[in-house]
This record gives sequence, C-alpha cells and structure tokens, in this order.
Amino acid sequence: MGIIATSRLKSPWIMHFDNSSCNGCDIEVLASLTPLYDIERFGIVNMGNPKHTDVLVVTGPVNRRTARVLKNLYDQIADPKMVIAVGTCSISGGVFHNCYNVLGGVDKVVPVDVYVPGCAARPEAIIDGVVMALQKLAKLQGVAL
Amino acid sequence: MLPYNWMMAVAILLPVVAAVLVYIIRQYHVRGVIVILAAIALIVNSILFLLHGKDTFSPANAQMWNMVVTVLDYLILLFYIYVGISLKNWLVLIFALTQIIPLAWLEFGMGGSAALANVNPTFVVDHLAIVMTLVISIVGSLICVFAIRYMYDHEHHQHLEKSRQSRFLFWLVLFLGAMNGLVFANNLIYLYFFWELTTLICFQLIAHDLTKEAIGNAARALWMNSIGGTALIIAMIILFAKDVPMSLNGILSGGVASAVLLLPVALMCFTAMIKAAQLPFQSWLLGAMVAPTPVSALLHSSTMVKAGVYLVLRLAPAFAGTRLSVMIALVGAFTFMAASGLAISQTTGKRVLAYSTIANLGLIIACAGINTPLAITAAILLIIFHAVSKGLMFLCAGTIEHVIWSREIEDMEGLAAKAPMITTITAIGMLSMFLPPFGMLLGKWMALESASVIPLAAWLFVIASAAGIVFWAKWLGRLLQVLPKLGSKIESLSLSYTVPLWLLVLGIFGVGIGVASVYTGLVQNAVADVISSGQALAVQGWGLTVNGVSAVSSTANFAVGNYPVWPLFIVFAIAVLIPFIFVAIKPGELRPVYMCGEQAGGTDTDEWYSTADVKTKVQLGGYYFQGVLGEAALNPWTYTLSIVLMVIMFAVALLAIGGAL
Amino acid sequence: MNAWIIAIVTVIVAPFIGGFLAGIDRRITARLQGRFGPPILQPFYDFFKLLGKSKIAASRLQLMWIYAYLVLMITALLFLVLRLDILLMMFILGFAGVCFALGGFSSRSPYSHLGANRELMQMLAYEPVLLFLALGVYAQNGSFLISQIYASPTPLISRLWPIFIALLVILTIKLRKSPFDLSTSHHAHQELVKGIMTEYSGPYYALIELTEWYEIVLVLGIVSLFVANPLWVGIIIALAAYVLELFVDNITARMTVGWMVRFVWSVGVTLCILNLIWFWVFAAFKGVS
Repeated sequence: MGIIATSRLKSPWIMHFDNSSCNGCDIEVLASLTPLYDIERFGIVNMGNPKHTDVLVVTGPVNRRTARVLKNLYDQIADPKMVIAVGTCSISGGVFHNCYNVLGGVDKVVPVDVYVPGCAARPEAIIDGVVMALQKLAKLQGVAL
Repeated sequence: MLPYNWMMAVAILLPVVAAVLVYIIRQYHVRGVIVILAAIALIVNSILFLLHGKDTFSPANAQMWNMVVTVLDYLILLFYIYVGISLKNWLVLIFALTQIIPLAWLEFGMGGSAALANVNPTFVVDHLAIVMTLVISIVGSLICVFAIRYMYDHEHHQHLEKSRQSRFLFWLVLFLGAMNGLVFANNLIYLYFFWELTTLICFQLIAHDLTKEAIGNAARALWMNSIGGTALIIAMIILFAKDVPMSLNGILSGGVASAVLLLPVALMCFTAMIKAAQLPFQSWLLGAMVAPTPVSALLHSSTMVKAGVYLVLRLAPAFAGTRLSVMIALVGAFTFMAASGLAISQTTGKRVLAYSTIANLGLIIACAGINTPLAITAAILLIIFHAVSKGLMFLCAGTIEHVIWSREIEDMEGLAAKAPMITTITAIGMLSMFLPPFGMLLGKWMALESASVIPLAAWLFVIASAAGIVFWAKWLGRLLQVLPKLGSKIESLSLSYTVPLWLLVLGIFGVGIGVASVYTGLVQNAVADVISSGQALAVQGWGLTVNGVSAVSSTANFAVGNYPVWPLFIVFAIAVLIPFIFVAIKPGELRPVYMCGEQAGGTDTDEWYSTADVKTKVQLGGYYFQGVLGEAALNPWTYTLSIVLMVIMFAVALLAIGGAL
Repeated sequence: MNAWIIAIVTVIVAPFIGGFLAGIDRRITARLQGRFGPPILQPFYDFFKLLGKSKIAASRLQLMWIYAYLVLMITALLFLVLRLDILLMMFILGFAGVCFALGGFSSRSPYSHLGANRELMQMLAYEPVLLFLALGVYAQNGSFLISQIYASPTPLISRLWPIFIALLVILTIKLRKSPFDLSTSHHAHQELVKGIMTEYSGPYYALIELTEWYEIVLVLGIVSLFVANPLWVGIIIALAAYVLELFVDNITARMTVGWMVRFVWSVGVTLCILNLIWFWVFAAFKGVS
C-alpha cells in the first residue's frame, strides 16, 4: 500500500459545494485556484464531480433543502474521503443560526474532518485546511506526510 | 450422394412443393414441421452442391420446361397488368406493358424463342452460384423457420379473423426456390423468369398485411423492379439482334465485352442495381419495411437484393477495364456514402437497417466495379458476411418488436434490462456489422485496400465508413443503457426464435474465425470463376495477406496489407467477451449517477427532484441531425447526383458504341 | 520471438512515457497560465491514488466497455510498434473509440450521455482523416504496411504534408484539447461536468487515465511516422506537435460540436483529398510519360 498511500497525500481532488452561504467563502475558495495561490502545486484540482472527488469542501450553513443534496453528494464519493467545512456558517450556521430554514453546521448532515473558521475564510486558511485534512489521512494510514 | 438432377430438383422444385404443402395444410404444427424439413433438406442440398463442385445442367425434357417457363412468364406479366388496373396504379401498368410487349416481340416477332430454346446448358452451377446457394439455403431457411412462430405472434397481435399465415409462408418458402433458380440460370429467359418471380414474390410479401401503406409500397417495389425487367428484356433484344448466344456464358465467353455489347451489359447492371436498391431506387426497399420482419430479413440478407449484386458480379468480366466499370464503382460507392449518411438521421430501427443494407450493397457493387481480383474477393466475402449479419439483425429487430411492440430506436432504451438475451444477440450482430475482427470489416478493409484503382470510390468509402460508425454506435448505445439492476431475469422466447438466432450468431463467429478456410475452400474458386486472373489474397499463418501487385510503386513484390484474423479474435475475446462474462459487481458498489445531488433515491430509480421538489424522470435522447442529414435535407442532392451518375453510366456505354462505329 | 519482446516492452514502457508527457502537459499549461504547476510525476500520483479508492460503479456494462477500450488501445499501439497494417490499425482505433462511447451510453446519466454523443461526433470528424492518412500512405508506398514506411527512403511528410496538417487538427481532438475538448476535458468542467467520464470513479477512472497515456503514445507515434527515417527526427516532430497542441489548448476556447465537424471536414478532409488528387494526377502523368 506504500505507493498508493503516498499518492493519496499528493493528489487530493476537491469538490466545492455551496449550501446557502453569502458567497464570501465561495469567492475565497475560487481565489485559491488562481495563479496567486496555485493550489495545483499540491496536486489539488477542483473536479466538480463527486465521483472523482477525495475532499469535499463545503461552504455555508446547511438548510432544509441543501441537506438532501449534500448527503447525496457525500454518498457518491468513493472512500477514502474527507470533508472540510469552510467558514463560520458551515461550522455552526454562523449569522444564519436559528433561521427558520437553517439546520446549522455541515456536521449535522455529514461527518466533518477539518473545520476552517473565518468570515470569510482566507485562501491561505483553506489551503491549510486541505493540508490538515491530508495530515489526518496520513495519520490514519500511518505514513508520514 | 444424390444424382445431380435430383440436387437441382431439390434446390428449385422442393421449395415449390413445400410452399404448396404449407399453403394447403392449415395446421400450425404440421405446417411448422414441413417448413423445418424443407429447411433441412435445402441446407443439406446446398452442402451437397459444395461437395459436388462446378457443373452444368440441362433438364431432360427441355421442350416442356421451356414451355412452362414461357407460359409462367406471361402469366406473371398478365398478373402485373391486373394489379396495375385493379389498384389504378398506372406506373405498374405501364412498366408491365413495357415488359410484355417487347418480350412477345422478341420471342415471336423476332423469332427469339428458338434461340432461347437452343441455349445449352440451361443452368451453370459454378462456384459463385454455389456460394450464393449456400447463402440462400442456409440463411434463408433459418429465416423461414423463424417466421413460423413470428407470424403466429404477429397475427395474434393483430387479432385477425382468418389466419393468413399459410399464404405468407407459401411465398416465403417459394422465394428460396426462385432465388436458387436465379443464381443457377444460364439461359437468359430462365434468368428473366426467376428474376420476375422474385419481383412477384416480393410484391406479394410486402403487400401481405393489406394495409393501405403496405399495398402502396408493394406496388412501388413492383413498378421499380419492372423498370429493371424492362431493361433486361431490352438487353436480351439487343443481344439477339447482335447474334450473341442468349446465355450468360455467351455474354461472358469473349472476356471483356466488345464495345457493342457494352450497352446490354450496362442495361443488365442497371436491372441489377434496381434490384439491389441502389440510389435513386432505394425507396422500394425502404418501403418494404412495412411487411412483417421475416420478409425484411429475407429480402435484405439472402434473397432479392443479393440477386442484384450477384448479377453485377457475374457480369464483372464483361466490363472489366472499361469506363463502364468505373461508373459502376462510382454508383455503388456513392450509394454506400449517401445511404450511410442518411442512416444517421433515422429514428426507426428497421430503417437504419434498411439504409445500412443499401449502403453495403453499394459497397459490393462498387467492388465489382473496381474489378480487381482483390475487390471481387472482397465483394464475395461481403455477400456471405452481410447475409449472415443482416439476417441476424433483422431477426433481432423482429424479436425486439415482439417484445416491446415498437420499431423506434428511442423505445429500445433500456432493453438490456427487459430482454438481456435478445439485447446481447443484437449487440453481437451490430458489432459484427462494422467493427474488427468480424467479417464485414474485413470486407470493408479489403475493399479500401483495393480501391486505389479508382481513388474517388476510395474517398467515398472513407466517408461512408466514418458515418457507419456513428449510426451503429448510436443505436447500440441506446440499446445498452440501463439502470444498474442486478440479476435481471433472462427472457424466455420460443425455440422458433432462439434456434435461428443462435445459429446465426454461431455463423458470424464461424465464418469470422474461419475466414481463411472459407476463402480457400469457397471464395477463392468463386473469384477464379468470376475473373480468372491472379490470386489477390494469401493465407499466411494466422492471417490474410494481400499480395502486392502495386500499380503505384514499381518496387513490387511486397505485401500490400495484412489482416491477422485469429489474433484479432483473441483480442476481441479479451477485450469484450471475457469482461462481459466476468465483470462482477457487488450490489454495494453501485451508486446512482451524478445528477447534481438531486437524484431521488438509490440506483433503482432514475428520478430526480425538479422545481418545487417534484419528482421527475430523467429523459435521454439520441442525436439524429434531421436538419442536416435528414431525408428531406439530403434527398434532393442524393437523387440528383445518383441520377446523374446513372445517366453518365449509360452515356459511357453508348459512347463506347459510338467509338466502335 | 523478437516481436513478442517488442510487444511486451511496449505494453510496459508506453504508459510511463504517456504519463510523463501528461505531467509535462500540466506543467507547461500551468506556466502558460502564470502558475507554478504540479510536479512532473503528478499524473502518476493521481493514477495510484485512484487505484486505491473504493470501487464504485454506475452500471455493470460500463466497466466492460472501459476494459475493451484499454485492450483495443493497446492492440492499436501494438499494430504500430510491430509495424503491421496501418488501415487496420485505424479501424481498431475506431473500435476503441466506439467502446469508450458505449461506456458513456451504458449508464443513465445525462452528463455521460452528452459526452458519449459528442464523442461519436468527434469520431465522425476524425475518422475520415485517419483513413485518408492510410490511403495516403498507400498512395506513396504502394503498401498499407507500416514496415514499408520504415523501409522507404523518402519520408511521408515530403509528399503528404497536407495530410500531416490535417493530422495536426485531428491530434487536438484525439488529445482532448481545446477547442475540441467536447466530450470530456482535462480542466474547466463547466457544462460538461466531466462529460463521458463523469460516471467512472476510483480504479475504473484510473483505467481511463491509463488508456489515455497509451493513446498519447499512439497518436504521437502516428505523427512520428511522417519522418520514419531517421526515427529520431520523427520523434522530435511528434514532441513538437505535442507542445504545439498545448499552446493551442491554452489560447483557444471550447467550440460547439457542429463547428468542429464543419471545420474538420472542410479543412481536414479537403486537405486530404487535395493531397490524394495530387498523387492521382502525378501517377497519371507518370503513366503517360
């Protein structure tokens, strides 16, 4: 499993899913794809398709309608998979907390591995979040990152 | 072994006897047994012909048979006149008259009947005829067996008061006898008789359901083929006037026809092209689709249209090296291309098959026009492979029709779940039509390798074969897409369906894998009987090698091409068959398809939540390009160009006469 | 015996070359976009990661066709390195493409359907040019065998340069680069999601990557046939063509399917036919004199 375990850490393909955020975090996620941050250096690619995804990046609070979609997408991702909640809203519901249609944070629906706080979360923080997710994966697999 | 006259009798007269029997006996099981026995007898008999080899035959009391043929000729033509008048279809009437009047004039006015009676031998059974009779007897008989049950279901679905199955099987079985007679005939009046007989049977079969559309299309098939019959009679008159013996041997005896003879040869090829539904005469074959599917299967695979390509091939030495040959190649190649293009836009399965038949017949005729040993080999191989594959395809189309009661490609969506067996067989049939390692592709490959003599034909081949990939793959894709249900049940079908289907599948693999033996044992001799110059193909180890008689390069004597038959079949087995059998997925591994996370439920549903959370079914459709490639868009062009090509074909023949004078 | 060794070596080495080229592709693309880009070995990391993912499928048939796609692509490549019949090689390549499209059709997914339909349109566009290429080879060498291309002292490009240009256009389609990345694309998954590849995941998607590597080697091998003597010139030309495709990829946007078919047929097929007409006329004159 050596080569596969190593490769997992070098090639995290992400999918970005926006629940019902104010789009602040979404813009930051996209910003991290730009030449300035260039996440492809770490082999990170935004695939936009759960079937090819390793890391699910979720922004915004979960509401009653997106919960279903989020669950569906999560189920379509092949194992091993990680989930990163980006931004305060996706962690706890943020300013939308206790709204009539909001369930709360992402972890109400799917298990979350890494929480990246911020309103909005900065690209550096998001990249750091992905790297932390990888570290967690490395620990699970018992290999060094 | 049977005496030779008995073999001839079995080939031509046994179907007549069997046909009369099935017409009289109106009992489903007895009738079925008779058809099956006749089929077995015909198949065994055709193999006896193969073992017997080349021979000639004249019936003992020739006088009587000539009388019978002549009388039947006029009866058929009088029937056409009757049809023309009773349907008020003036085209049928006109072209019946244009046959009966010149025929009477030839036989009695010019005194041609004596010359026709003196032809010896009456029948010539050379290796090309043996190939044809094998195809007719084996594939045709299987289709007749299929028809036993098919017609039963067909009428059951129609809720007829009085069964007309007997009538149907009568004509179907008779067809085989007529075709055998046609490919054996040497005497032109016999050829003409069997030719008209196939036209008549074709008319009767297309009109079988007696709907307005069926009768209209049958009448169209009749008048179009009557044009061909007229051309055949005119050719006979010219031959008689030039003192040429009234037989195929007579025409072919002098090698390449003299310039004066080129016109009758062109007329006969024209007749053959109409029968082979070449553009612009394709509409009769498309119209024939209204008939019950066994008719289509028979017309498209082993009989009727194959008579057309047979005659062109037979005449190939007579026009070798002339401009007429080039024009025949171009007419065929143009048909190949145009029909392939039109097939993309068809939404009905049987119409796609019809266009594909027209296209492949065009390819065969183009090969005859290219007229090199390699091209003739390709043509004969294509006749064999096409008969088996297309016979299977139509039987599949018929079976599918009786499973879903529709002919539309869009309705076949997800058939793999409803009827896995027939879908698998259909898929094999489709793959065998256009992909390696199967025979049709081998034929196309050889045709392309031989086509350098006439570059324009080669270019048309290229475009046609690209279009062919699209329309086959498109349909196949429609058939195979399913919800990922596991363990769906295999459907149960009548033995009358499954036995012919599986035998034809076996045939596809048999002639495909054993193509080297088919070539050395059968086709090689047939090619030698058609044109006796040079061996184009050599069997080398696992494959076939095209020998280098290169026109372009002077450093000859190297192989032009190489087709490794067995390795390709091994690759096919590794690539498709083994995964097909062994790909196993545990139910837990299946996930629903990606629908932006809005799918409603698991793998067993194809619904998703649309606006306002309404569950909606996914609808998928194919591309048909009706606007660009549809009949309405293309037909003005194809008709114009094909008519121009036909006119040039005759102009070339006439110019040759002008040059000779 | 020798042929067996060549075959085995090809099957083993080709994916390494293909994967390496794919890595260079991503690196150069990144540089063209002002980025640093992933390591050269990134495609291999992706590949092994995919192998280690859990197996998920959308339908059974889909896997069968993807195996067939791989096996047939390898077969086509073996035809090239064993120097067999080029026309037959094109047909086998066509079969591989059909298998890929059928894989797309075999699940009820809107996106993979869209991709599969477009894949067929791509085949309609490139298949004639590949077959014309084979006819051109025959017109020049009098043989369809690739071994004769290597034996011939005159390189193909000297007389078949119009077909070579047409081949470069086709190369864009075969490598799935803009403006012809219609059925699926390597990046920018706007309306396509991942097109025909959408429903493949984990190890099955890795198989597609592997097939693509073979395909890169195969199509570049076809390009290199144009200067087969000496072979290293051909290889350099093939690599140059590859880099050219990367530039084209980065300076163009995806076009529509109809435009692609029209463009390839009007430019590519016309070039091919003109080239062959020239041969025909040339041969006719030679025959006269």
